[in-house]
Amino acid sequence: MMLPQKKLLLLLTTLLFAFLMSSVPVDENPSVTIRLQAIPGLQYDQVRFSVKPGTTVELILTNADDMSHNLLITEPGAREEVVLSALQLGEAGPTADFIPDIPQVLWSIPVLSPGETKSVTFTAPQTLGIYPYVCTYPGHGAVMYGAMYVTEEALPALAEDPNIPSARRVDRMQAGDSLQAGPHQTPKQWHPYEPVPPYWYRVFIPGASPAAMAVCLPDSVSYCWDAGTCRLRFAWQGGFVDNSQLWKGKGDVSSIILGTIFFRDKTDYPLRTGTPDHIPVVAFKGFRLIDRYPEFHYTLDGMDVYELIKPGKKTDGTAHASQGHVSPGRVSLTRTFRMPQANQTLWFAFHPDDGVDYQASAGVWKEGLLKLSPQEARQFTIHMTPKEGVKL
Amino acid sequence: MAVGCVTDPDQPASDVSYRVEAIPMPEGLSSETGAIAFFPDGRLAACFHRGEVMFYDPETKVWSLFAEGFHDPLGILVISPSELLVMQRPELTRVKDTDGDGQADLYETVTDDFGISGNYHEFNYGPIQDQAQNLFIALNTASPNGDVREEVRGRLDHRGRAPRQMFAAVPYRGWIMKLTPSGTLWPYACGFRSPNGLAFDAEGHMFVTDNQGDWIGTSPLYHVQEGKFYGHPASLLWQEGWDRGNPAELPVAALDSMRTKAAVLFPHGIMANSITQPALDHTQGKFGPFAGQFFIGEMNQGRIVRVMLEQVNGEFQGACIPFYDEKGLRKGNNRLAFAPDGSLWVGQNDHGWAGDRGIQRIVYTGKPPMDVYTMKLTPEGFELTFTQPLDLSTASDTSHYQFRHYYYEYHQEYGSEQFDIQRRPVTQVSVAADQKKVSLTLDTMKAGYIYELTLGDIRSAEGDTLANKLVCYTLNQLKK
Repeated sequence: MMLPQKKLLLLLTTLLFAFLMSSVPVDENPSVTIRLQAIPGLQYDQVRFSVKPGTTVELILTNADDMSHNLLITEPGAREEVVLSALQLGEAGPTADFIPDIPQVLWSIPVLSPGETKSVTFTAPQTLGIYPYVCTYPGHGAVMYGAMYVTEEALPALAEDPNIPSARRVDRMQAGDSLQAGPHQTPKQWHPYEPVPPYWYRVFIPGASPAAMAVCLPDSVSYCWDAGTCRLRFAWQGGFVDNSQLWKGKGDVSSIILGTIFFRDKTDYPLRTGTPDHIPVVAFKGFRLIDRYPEFHYTLDGMDVYELIKPGKKTDGTAHASQGHVSPGRVSLTRTFRMPQANQTLWFAFHPDDGVDYQASAGVWKEGLLKLSPQEARQFTIHMTPKEGVKL
Repeated sequence: MAVGCVTDPDQPASDVSYRVEAIPMPEGLSSETGAIAFFPDGRLAACFHRGEVMFYDPETKVWSLFAEGFHDPLGILVISPSELLVMQRPELTRVKDTDGDGQADLYETVTDDFGISGNYHEFNYGPIQDQAQNLFIALNTASPNGDVREEVRGRLDHRGRAPRQMFAAVPYRGWIMKLTPSGTLWPYACGFRSPNGLAFDAEGHMFVTDNQGDWIGTSPLYHVQEGKFYGHPASLLWQEGWDRGNPAELPVAALDSMRTKAAVLFPHGIMANSITQPALDHTQGKFGPFAGQFFIGEMNQGRIVRVMLEQVNGEFQGACIPFYDEKGLRKGNNRLAFAPDGSLWVGQNDHGWAGDRGIQRIVYTGKPPMDVYTMKLTPEGFELTFTQPLDLSTASDTSHYQFRHYYYEYHQEYGSEQFDIQRRPVTQVSVAADQKKVSLTLDTMKAGYIYELTLGDIRSAEGDTLANKLVCYTLNQLKK
């Protein structure tokens, strides 16, 4: 902690004077503890706080980010000047913790490595004002700052506070440019073009391996293809996905599924070769676009499989979205499999509680499995229709 | 799909020898640049964090979409006008336009034979290709600020997990991997934390950057060779036959004796905080006098650094120097690539770290810079070669060569302070007859230190001032 001596003297004198001149009892000289964290995204978790003049402030900073940060409290209006002075320290910067030795710096906490905590204790100025705090680590100062209000009054509305970073002038609970926007908000544009289904994202998806892919089809139906395990993991109806938190880049975040999941694979693996209980070794080979629909290519024990997933006909409700929204109807999925080299019996397994009814273009249903001859396995389709009232 | 450019480019800024120009980006693009690469015809391929792979034609200034949907793509290798390799989180992918409509229709897995735990920090870098058509990729370790996902790809091993330690809970995180033309992915070298930059020099030696953090006192550039360990212990868990438990719990001295040190260290907060991709100047003079040297991006400042390597006793070591500072250059200089016209393109990124977004290019104006061209170790000190003949009076003044030395500790902690900072006086200066070479004699020379040189107001014979005055030489070995 650094406290310029002149300042200290000045403060002590001021305090002493204030103490002598007032009839306020000693125990009313208040003290407060402020806990701040440096968090991912070049920011402090709190971008402002207020203290009354003369308060003893213990400011505790924890670095919860994955890079180093410091904290300097500056004279009102001196933030940018202090950031510049820190940068101009040049090769002397690291040893000085990027804290310039200038009077505009009132108090400071030196550079904290990730996970470290340090504190500084000081007496809030008698002069009312907005005292910026800022990280002067190179490259951070332009965005990583906040404001200590020395005031007796209430703070201005967050959204209209020019003393905090613009990105933080929103309620944190509402922040994040979420796609789950209210009806009056314009949907955000995520790309320099308007994606038209079918389109897809390779993203982290809950309920799948980390090598997953969300595919948006026409008719408000979407599915998760798991490239890590080579199978259709689940499918849903309604919206597509919200990647707004994931795309911020840090922490344990996933894409959020928007809609109702109507199918979830609950088998060990749906395709079996040779014998009905043989789980093949799979490898993901990629996909080719056919009329923009991905046709996945993977291997089962080395045998090529191609799988194309398209929306099937809706079972009821409005068939065309353009006719106005009355009922979304029930969607279905049609999976077309090609196995040009098939030379063994193929079984397709499913779980009775996976949410859908099955129809197949070939093969025989037997004891909960679809059995296909090698000839039939070379090309067949499986049609999956959601059952009523299944919760997944 | 053509996309109009609406964003106004920044005002071009320039200094004497180089100027920066902003590339107009398409409206609606979050231009966190994951990678940039050029086609021989001058068109640019670039990828961005939300998964777009786009082409830009500098002639028409039109962007077009080539492919989409990638998961944090951070590397592009151009194969042909219709085919790219793209490095993304789950795999290295071949992306191809097979029907000639200008958009990719084939996404083939080239390799996914490595683990992903789903930790947010498991970025993948590369590929680069050697003369024998082998591809090399680099796998970032995972961050202790995140967890692993419920379902992972690859075998899980939690032994290396500890607070504040980057970890490798699935195979080959923290490794450079080699993909042979036959398609097999082999572990090649380990000990990396965040190897966000791979490149070959003109002779085919591989160089890889890493980032300051636990076990890495300051950001390094490594000369990478097969089978070697470069210092961050997490990846050792996946070394064949590893039976020594949590590698980070080995005595530091044992780890230190196993590791290969960096060829060049970039003093933290002085030269750079977070270095990125090295780009070899293969422009044969189109970009100025530094052909054959590496330029490397820096995330935290508007800076590109330049590296001057040499071999001492058969091992690479050398110096780094700022090349371009501020003057219109944004922060976040994550990706560098030379265009066929000899300009250096820089793709910017932030993605939750210090940085910026967009693409700029640095253009050589044709006015030769007054700069340090090379810095070489001699038995008595250093020999500096300048790009231009020197003014004898300013160049002969010992006070214009201020050295200090220091070192960074190899330890588990995040980063390192500078230790044993001492001034190292120059006792003698001699300028060679060509007026470009200066031999400096120092009072003592010690291996294991960074020698940081601050140059004074040395002028060229024509009166030009130095473009850059700070040079840091990593002295691993004295000349035998």
